[in-house]
Amino acid sequence: MQNESKIDPKIIEEMLKFSKNVIEAPKLVSAPDEISLEVTSHDVVQEMDKTRLLHYEPLTDKQHKTPLLISYALINRFHILDIHPEKSWVRNLLQQGFDVYMLDWGTPTSMDKYLDFDDYVNGYLDTYVEHVKNESSTEKISLQGYCTGATIATAYTTLHPESVKNYIATAPVIDGWRDTTVISNLAKHMDVDKMVDVVGNMPPEFMYYCFSVLKPFEQGIEKYVNFFKNIENKKFVDSFLRVEKWLGDTPPIPGELFKQWIKDIYQDNLLIQNKMYVGGQLIDLKKIDMPMFTQVAVGDHLVSPECSMPLHYAVGSEDKTLRMYPTGHVGMIASSISQKKVLPELGKWLLERS
Amino acid sequence: MHLMSSKPQALNSIGPMRAFASNSKKVSTELIEINELLMGFNQYYSEYYKQLSDTWAVAQKKVNQKAPEVPQDVEQIDSFKRIWIDIFDNDFTELFDSQKFGENYGNLVSKELELTKHWNNITNVILQSVNLPSKEEIDEVYKEIHSLKKRVGKLELELKKREIKKNAK
Repeated sequence: MQNESKIDPKIIEEMLKFSKNVIEAPKLVSAPDEISLEVTSHDVVQEMDKTRLLHYEPLTDKQHKTPLLISYALINRFHILDIHPEKSWVRNLLQQGFDVYMLDWGTPTSMDKYLDFDDYVNGYLDTYVEHVKNESSTEKISLQGYCTGATIATAYTTLHPESVKNYIATAPVIDGWRDTTVISNLAKHMDVDKMVDVVGNMPPEFMYYCFSVLKPFEQGIEKYVNFFKNIENKKFVDSFLRVEKWLGDTPPIPGELFKQWIKDIYQDNLLIQNKMYVGGQLIDLKKIDMPMFTQVAVGDHLVSPECSMPLHYAVGSEDKTLRMYPTGHVGMIASSISQKKVLPELGKWLLERS
Repeated sequence: MHLMSSKPQALNSIGPMRAFASNSKKVSTELIEINELLMGFNQYYSEYYKQLSDTWAVAQKKVNQKAPEVPQDVEQIDSFKRIWIDIFDNDFTELFDSQKFGENYGNLVSKELELTKHWNNITNVILQSVNLPSKEEIDEVYKEIHSLKKRVGKLELELKKREIKKNAK
């Protein structure tokens, strides 16, 4: 009896409140298909196979001369860069007067299993860069690559330096042997030939498994406990659901592209050694000689800083900047830190060179 | 009449069952191989769960050492939860980062893929028995389409370059 009297009644109160929140959640939370991730207005200005080029409507009377094309990652969808009006990467850049284009890689199907690095670098990205150049009547553009999109953009920039005025690499996947994340450990032990031979494209389910082993208890328990605790906070719930919807929507990766990516980046580490070939052409990082800005997140558990930073030292650019931010992989592009620190610094750097 | 009754297989010589019957040996072989593979798969599968459960036990011991008292109020529950999550996340990340986990997981996935390959082979036998293309045949078509698209793209680019050159003159 003595032991029972020690328990704080607040514990019972908290537990009852939590249970009530769980029960009431369906009434307070929107269904995933009721949430639109298209935040900022844009036009689809070109389509090629399943990929699309988006052009965002300007938010200022005048725009800086050099347009910016963003090459988003191959994992999940581009929406994270425009996930919420207050946390939108794209909107912030538009408000700073930049003319912003976005590459949506679309959703590959079984038919696309033979698409490789060459198709993505010299096919899709090159076509869209040419479109942006023509539409904005410029000879060179600013190019930003995020995560695996930066691996593609890096390969493109080495092969077509004449089209890139400024290159921004945000959490780029570059040096696979230095990568200290769980993802790289799984990638290094993967029989990728067998996987592509048997299943074709890399299935989204495999990616979901990889996500599930990243901070499993923080992400699998604490995150949802916080969600139910804050179920009455509309702003929190809206923001949470947007990110959850984005997390649950990752397209397959074309088999041949995935094979080369795992082998050349994680297993043989050819890119950083200037030994990787795309479409029969050598990727020599020294050919990146334009101004370059590398953004790295210290707490990145998807692409570790050790994997991204070597790009800064490997390129031929004299005008190059490396910035490290006290946040994570997604926090760097869609958080209050990105709005207050990362984007203003990027905007200032880009403005001086646009 | 005598010929028909003595050779019943001739009755369905062009039907799907004949094609299936002639390939049934292949299906049996695939099933035997699947059975053998399952032994290897189960070995890596057991090891996978053993690694998880061993890590769980060690992490729980660490939590017990660090937070021996049963939490009595809300603040204590919160700090206990924090300790529990931090220790479990650290220990499991260490496991997922280790070579032994990577190797076993790689082998587990590899065996699963081999099982899928055998399943595909059985499916191909069924597909062929109803005169539908096999996975390999569909893959060949995809490969051809991909190669043709690439060639057309290059030709279009070449044509565009020539037009620009011609207009410049």
